[in-house]
Amino acid sequence: MKKLVALVLAACLLLGITSALAEAEKPTLTLWCIATESDANRPAYEKAIPEIEEALGVKIEWEAFENDSYKTKIKSTSAEELPDIFFTWAGAFCGDFATAGKVYCLDEAYAEYADALPDVMTKNATYDGKRYAVPLTMNIVAMFANMDILAEVGYDKVPQTYEELIDCCDKLVAAGKIPFGCSGNATWCVTEYLEPIILKTIGYEALGDIFAGKGTWNDPAIATAVDNFQDMIIKGYFDPDGLTLDNDTVKANFIAGKYAFYQNGTWNCGEVAAAGDNFQVALFPVMDAEKATYGQVIGGPADSLAVSAAGKDPALAAKVAFALGKKICQYSFIDAGSGLPAWTPDYDTSAVNYLTTAVSDMVAAADGMVLFGDTAMSADPANIYLSYVAKVYGCEIDGAGFVEALTNELQ
Amino acid sequence: MKRTFSYKLNIFLFLLPALILFIGILIAPIIMSAYYSFHEFNLVANTDMEYVGLENYRILFSSMLTNPNTGKLYANSMYLGDALAHSLILAALSTFIQLPLALIIALKLSKGIRGERTYLSIFFMPVLISTVIIGRLWMNIYDPGQAGLLNAGLRALGIDQWLFPAISKGITSSKLPFTGQWTGFRETALIAAFIPILWQYVGYHMLLMYAGIKGVPADLLEAAQLDGCTEGQVNRYIIIPYIKPILKVCVIFAVTGSLKSFDLIYALMKDTSRAELPSTLMYKLLFLHQRYGLGSTVAVVLIILCFLFAMLISLAFRDKGAKVA
Repeated sequence: MKKLVALVLAACLLLGITSALAEAEKPTLTLWCIATESDANRPAYEKAIPEIEEALGVKIEWEAFENDSYKTKIKSTSAEELPDIFFTWAGAFCGDFATAGKVYCLDEAYAEYADALPDVMTKNATYDGKRYAVPLTMNIVAMFANMDILAEVGYDKVPQTYEELIDCCDKLVAAGKIPFGCSGNATWCVTEYLEPIILKTIGYEALGDIFAGKGTWNDPAIATAVDNFQDMIIKGYFDPDGLTLDNDTVKANFIAGKYAFYQNGTWNCGEVAAAGDNFQVALFPVMDAEKATYGQVIGGPADSLAVSAAGKDPALAAKVAFALGKKICQYSFIDAGSGLPAWTPDYDTSAVNYLTTAVSDMVAAADGMVLFGDTAMSADPANIYLSYVAKVYGCEIDGAGFVEALTNELQ
Repeated sequence: MKRTFSYKLNIFLFLLPALILFIGILIAPIIMSAYYSFHEFNLVANTDMEYVGLENYRILFSSMLTNPNTGKLYANSMYLGDALAHSLILAALSTFIQLPLALIIALKLSKGIRGERTYLSIFFMPVLISTVIIGRLWMNIYDPGQAGLLNAGLRALGIDQWLFPAISKGITSSKLPFTGQWTGFRETALIAAFIPILWQYVGYHMLLMYAGIKGVPADLLEAAQLDGCTEGQVNRYIIIPYIKPILKVCVIFAVTGSLKSFDLIYALMKDTSRAELPSTLMYKLLFLHQRYGLGSTVAVVLIILCFLFAMLISLAFRDKGAKVA
């Protein structure tokens, strides 16, 4: 009996050592991202990573950081210390890494996934004709509306014209309701209001040129758009407390019914839809019909994964980044409702929440897209731009001041 | 001769590790920062270092700049002057409000009142709490909504009815009315940031002063009492002069601490532009704007100012009598 027990124990030990050795033989890749516990995409990462580890025979050691601190961390990390795969934003943010030669060119790995990932989705992270990032999801700025509150002032659908929107806001204010909530503590949230207003005033081509540094801020129409936005603030359409609130609080306030509208990225669709079926999503109405159309939107594929050029095995990391990107995209779209798929879906999409479905229709009918300003511009101009956006929301400068400041500082 | 040389060599060898650490950790980074301040470069985009001479200093110290294309003058958003002014206000508030308060508490506690140890622990407790937690805590206190303790208190007492309109009248930087957004306006944000700083560090200075007061020889105090000195006279003519070296250290800490202040402001208001300080501007220039030369220039200015103020304070506290002796 003793011999049998000893034999079983020895066999178990051998099995343990063998499996540990097998595990140790697996190549290990490191991954940094922003999918923290409170991030809507966290479950997608948690689900996708083990699947990819199993499928590709790799071990992924991943860490998640809060959005703002991540931006600082990733920018201040030297090329040698970058993880094998890391989350990035397409546009100028990733462009800096590409220019510095810190990220690995993904053209070779892309060939295998070309059928599932439309070329157009990789455009925002293509520099000098080479692809440097794998897109995950794509998002646009949309206006979420609480239909219960709108019903109280006689609206059974989201206002489609600017005049209707102003009328609706006036009625809401008269009824003691706050039309909009916007965080002034996170300036990017203010751009989610200001950029669509400028877009619907000057059109997507002009705004796209300005963000790309090819156009000029010195346009009286931009000053008018900013003044219109500021009029809305001064007339009490925005929660005055918003000036010092963070975005999570503002979003929670909207979901709790404090505001009628909340204009922000469509990555919020899952969270808002989960709160009830009394919400609708729409685009900000046109302000100058000669230059803009309803279907013009701010957004595009920006959330991406990049591969460090100084990694141990960048070719393997590139392969893993594509496979992982595809899975994260799928779970973010289906389960979390935190974005539209940048990849062509080859799975059942019937479980997608009603708001994401509505956004999907909007994007399908979109006339033109302009990437988020702070993503499209490189670090220095983007932060100068954000500093003046904050001043606009704080009513410290008007439209003319905004235009003059940006014209002088950026051009 | 040989013995003297060997003795000096031994001293040098014993001091060498500390000297290497001191040069490597303190002196070398300062020299590197000074070198970077004459250049412009972007570490993320890996751009070459471009020598720009004093251009970074000119940018930081010019409230207005000229657009090279149009020749128009415009307000410089990277102007360091406002941030420095904010730091000096903080330094003045710390020196003339925080330190006297700490001294009063230390004097009272050192008299051996009941529960002395408990009070010491209570006043020192905020020093032990992480600044990020304190920032978050005060963020909740300042919350303009229903959850905000300060505004809720003011509303309950009806003070908001006259206080908020009065503050609104004083706000010139914005067209918006003040409705309790303490960190939302330039006119209120700096004061709102100072109060938690006062709350956090008053205990720190109090403890230093308390230790100093406890070190005052008992016979000195007894002699003064026998001579009929009142408590105020003992404090003024014996205790305060006796703890002057500690007061000097406290003033240096308070002033240089105000110049370097970053963590609490950043934790309290993510967008620090309404209470910009040199260190928050430096952080923005380095990590957000990725202008490493310009950010290093702010660092150099801060180092110079900290040394300058430390020297000035030392001079101000110089014991003239001792020098004569």
